[in-house]
Parts: sequence; C-alpha cells; structure tokens
Amino acid sequence: MTTDLRAKEDTFTEIFNAAHAVLNTLADGRFADVRERGIHKFREYGVPTHRDEEFKYLSLRNLNETAFQIAYGATVSRGDLTHPIVAIDAITLAFVNGQYAPELSTADTLPDGVYVGPFEELPFEVDQAFEKQFGRVANLVGKLGTTNDERFTYLNQAFFADIAVIYVPENVVVERPIHILNLSTANRGPLISAPRAYAYFSTNSQAKLIESFIGLEGNYLNVPVTEVVLESGAIVEHVRVQDETLAATHIGTHAVHQDASSNYTAFNVNFGGQIYRNDLNVWLNGSGTETRLDGVNVGTDNQVMDNHTRIDHAFPHCNSFEVYKSVLRDNAQGIFNGKIFVYEDAQKTDAKQTNQALLLSATAQMNSKPQLEIFADDVKCTHGATIGQLQKDALFYLQARGIPKAQAESLLVYAFANDVLSRISSEAVRQALENRLFDKLEVA
Amino acid sequence: MPSMLVIQNLQARVEEKEILRGISLTVNAGEVHAIMGPNGSGKSTLASILAGKQDYEVTGGSVDFDGTDLLELDPEERAAAGLFLAFQYPIEIPGVTNTYFLRAALNNVRKARGEAELTMTEFMKHIRSKVEMMELDPSLLSRSVNEGFSGGEKKRNEIFQMAVLEPKLCVLDETDSGLDIDALKIVANGVNHLRGEGRGIIVVTHYQRLLDYIVPDFVHVLMEGRIVKSGGKELAHELEAKGYSFIEEELAAAR
Repeated sequence: MTTDLRAKEDTFTEIFNAAHAVLNTLADGRFADVRERGIHKFREYGVPTHRDEEFKYLSLRNLNETAFQIAYGATVSRGDLTHPIVAIDAITLAFVNGQYAPELSTADTLPDGVYVGPFEELPFEVDQAFEKQFGRVANLVGKLGTTNDERFTYLNQAFFADIAVIYVPENVVVERPIHILNLSTANRGPLISAPRAYAYFSTNSQAKLIESFIGLEGNYLNVPVTEVVLESGAIVEHVRVQDETLAATHIGTHAVHQDASSNYTAFNVNFGGQIYRNDLNVWLNGSGTETRLDGVNVGTDNQVMDNHTRIDHAFPHCNSFEVYKSVLRDNAQGIFNGKIFVYEDAQKTDAKQTNQALLLSATAQMNSKPQLEIFADDVKCTHGATIGQLQKDALFYLQARGIPKAQAESLLVYAFANDVLSRISSEAVRQALENRLFDKLEVA
Repeated sequence: MPSMLVIQNLQARVEEKEILRGISLTVNAGEVHAIMGPNGSGKSTLASILAGKQDYEVTGGSVDFDGTDLLELDPEERAAAGLFLAFQYPIEIPGVTNTYFLRAALNNVRKARGEAELTMTEFMKHIRSKVEMMELDPSLLSRSVNEGFSGGEKKRNEIFQMAVLEPKLCVLDETDSGLDIDALKIVANGVNHLRGEGRGIIVVTHYQRLLDYIVPDFVHVLMEGRIVKSGGKELAHELEAKGYSFIEEELAAAR
C-alpha cells in the first residue's frame, strides 16, 4: 500500500517535472517558486485515504489508478457550449482546462478601474490587491482546527496555469454579473487541470459573481482554487455551478476573506462529477459581517458529492447562515461536514447551520456531520440535519388534486431545492439552474 | 339515469384493525348526503378510501363511480374522473405556490376531460370570482400551499380548490372542524354554490352545525364501520338533540 502511494506521488511529480517548464513560461515565470513549493508540499501528504479525517467518507483511490496527463492546448468551439448557465448574459472570462480562452470570453467595457481578465501585466492597483492576499486566503495556517488539510490547495498550486483575476475598486457597483467559465475537456485521455481564480472586492463595492465548472468530455481531475476577498462594506453574491462530466473528479477549494461589515452570499450548486468534493472556507476578519452559504446537490447514478464548509468567526458580532440541501437518487452518496469555529473573542456570534437530504431511492445515502467548536461564551450557534424521503402525505395531496404521481414527485423535489435556488437574485440564473435540475432528474 | 356513486358492502382495515364493516351507499347527481357519526366510527376512513389513500386495505365490496370501478384508479385518475376530497387536515407544501399548484391540478384535470389547458392569464380569470366568493386574501395565492395558513384559511382554501376544479362528486371530510361561525358560513356558501348542476356532495361531519347551512337531502349515521340509520335532514336535528347514544339504545333494543 505504502509503496503504491509512493509510486503515485512520484507520478504527480513526474507530471509536474514534465509540465512546469511550460507552465513557467506564463507570467514571466513569476509563479515558478510557488509551483515548486506546491508540488513539494503535496508530496508530503500524497493522495488521502480513509485514515485521513477530512477524507473519512470519500474514497479517492481512482487518483492512484489513473495516468493523468497535464492539460494543455485544448480548444472548445462556441457551438459545444450548450449548458444553460453559459447563455446567461454576463461579463464572461472563459478558461479551457485552466488555460485562458479569449475566443470564448467577452470583451466588455467595464466601469472605471474594474479589472476582469487573466493574470498578465496588471494595472498597479490590481497588482497590489493581488499581492496582498493571493495564496493567503486559502491558507489555513494559524487558524483553528486539528485536522486542517490543504493538500489539494497545494496540488492546485503546483499545476495552475492562468489565473482569473477580478478586481472591483472602492465604491464601484458592477451591475452585470461577472462569469468565470471553466470548461474541461479530456478527449485525449485523463487530464489534470487546476483552474485558479482570485477576486478582490474593495471597500463598499458591489458585484455578482458566477463561477461555473462545465465538463464537456472525458475523465479528468479538476483541482480548482478560488480566492475571494471582500474589503469592509463590500457586498458580493457568488453563484458557483459545478457540472463536470460524470467521469470526472472535482476537488475544489473555495476560500473567502471577509473584512468588517461586508456581506457575502454563496450559492453552491452541484450536478456533475463522478466524485465531487469542495472545501468552502470563510474567514471573518472583522465585526458586523453577514455570511450566507447555501448549497444544492443533485446526485444520481454512482455520484459522490462531498461538501466541507468552514466558517471562522474570529471577531464579535458576525452572523452566518448556512443551508445545504442534497437530492440523491440511485446509488448516489452525499457527504456534508460543516465546521463553525467561534474564536474566544467572537462574542455575540450568531451562526445557524442546516443540512437536509432528500433520498429518492433506497440505495442513496447521506453522511452529515455538523462540527461546531465554540470558544466564546456569549454566542448563538445552532445546527440541524435531516435526512428523509418525499412526504407521503404531500404526495397524496397533490395526486388527489389530479397531479400525476411522477409530476407530483418532481414538484416536491423542485420545492425542496427551490427553497435555496429561489434566493438567487438573478431570475435568468435561477431559471437556468431549475431547468438543469429537472433535466438531470429527467422529469417534466 | 344511473346513479353517480354506488358503494356496495365496502369493507376495509388498517393493519389488523377492521374499520369499515360493510358500507352501502348510493349518491345520485344533484343530491347532498351527510354522513354523521361519533369519533372513530369510520367516517374519515370512508372519505379517504374514496379519494384513494393507500393507508387502508379494502378487503371487500365495491365502489362504482359513473360506471367505473373507482377502487382500481390511482388518486390522480379519480380526481380526473371528477372526484374531489376536501381534506380534514390540508397538507402544507413549502416551496410550491398555491397558484402554481392549483393551475397544475386544473390543467391535469382539464387534460383528462379533453379540454384545453389554461394559460396563466386565463387561469387567473377563471379563479377571480372564486377567490371573492371564498373571501380569500389574494396574497394567499402567491404563498406556499397551506403553509402558515390559519385553520380557517386552510379549510376555505380547500373549498376554493373545489370551486376551481368543479368536480362531479365532492367529499367534504369534517370541513367544519375548527371553524368559527363566520368561516363556517363562507365555507357553506361556497359549497352551496356548487350544489345542483348534476353534482353529488357527501358531507362528512361529527356535528349538525354545518348542516344548518348546507342542508342535506339525506343523513346517514355511521357507527362502528356500518351505516346504522338513514333518514332525511330531520335525523341530524334528532342527533343534535339526543346525541349518538339514542341510536345505540335503539340498536341495543333491536338486537
């Protein structure tokens, strides 16, 4: 076993050795050391096993059994983009296998000072904002927790190519949504790709961010890292849509840094992936913040959908509210781990976490683990988890009014998921996700 | 003209417990039948079985609805055939608006009748007068089905749905329970509007009070899973005055 793992770590190293020279031609080699540190750190940990606490329920054996190649040079034509989320009117920044794809991006006139583009020669202010927090938001060093596990952040660090950079200056409101579109296609054998994004919202700015991961073809390992910074008073709504191919493994890190009085809402909506894992980590860096983390997972077949979330309440008077829902059918497996750390000084913290799963078959399963660690004494923290089936009484009520059973079931599934989706502010985004939900469950 | 509903010797149980022990009842178009009885007599079970609830096992007898074997139909097919059950305890369905739900219901029923589906505009027009008749707060239409409705609002919502779906046979399961007198009058008014027009109505109730407003053509007393006495509307008044015990005594004397 140990030797196998060692061999595999060496394989990731081999890919790295083959790839880093090419990757380092990007951005004048600015990230060569970063990549080197990434592979070095990843090698220390290797592919996790069930013995690693943070991967207790998630088997990643496939990573040891697949000969991944570095993703480079693939192209996608516009005609292949049929996913409903792609049709959303937005300032779009597109990537194919982690590589910037200008031909699929939009060229928009942006409000003064706003930057939406790949990392290259950045304007001075943007470069400063980039330097300030890049790589730090996703870092868990110095934060609470005895099982902190950053190995896939390191893996991304070793392999990322281009970086999606978004910068909104002070007091600027960007009305149109900004869409980071990540496309993956592995038509020539298994690939590893490592999309990287960095979004910086300055004091009192406002924006809506869409981030999508759309799989077009094949088996690949996608290890994205997204870092989001909200300076004080910033208001951001972030919709993340994951719809990889059903052969893909997606292991993402989505890290957020919130300064005082900022307001951050994340919708994390997942349809795809053979194996999907995401760690959403929110660091509350000042008082008076509002955080809302909502998730919907729709799993069928043999999909595994694993959401880990953590919120670090490090300052007093912060509110966080979290609702994660899963609809699981066939042999799909859902995992939820919700950590809330309330630091010693974080008095008057108000945190509420809810996790609900709807199992549509006898063989679907859900593992739910709330994990609240509270070191302050004057706080309000609650959590609740429910796992159930469609309500028989509700089903009968709908049928008794003439609604056929299949339609009644889909209506109830819709209602369950829509409790979260209905809070998305954009009607078009909501509609696209609802359509995808119905399409995926093959119901009208 | 053949009878609309013919129930013959219907027997049913839940798990090992026998609840209906041979019920026979015929309802013709245009008639209003009241079924009265003490708690646990099987009234609500009868109503639920007619609507197709799965919790009961029918162990004998038959139900013919307009020439069709009703017991062979799924609940949605019964609704499409024109049967409506006003629930004793209407179900809350968070996340589905009343309007969406009712339009889906109406369009399914219309489809089954071979009628065209209604657009949202046509639907809103169709329900407007019914909203007024049931004195429903229009804001309830855009709220989730029954969620957070008061007891009275839920019952009015049931009769409102009935008015919208225009069924052939209405079965009201203790629609009067939990209603104050004003709500009771509104509900009765809604039901009376649907009276006649070739429609059959079965009112299941514990108390005679509702029958002051929905005056029945026939009253049946259900006890221990059997109809033990049938009569005209005066039977309801007799029950009100004397209680169910007078029938028990009559039955005891007859044995």
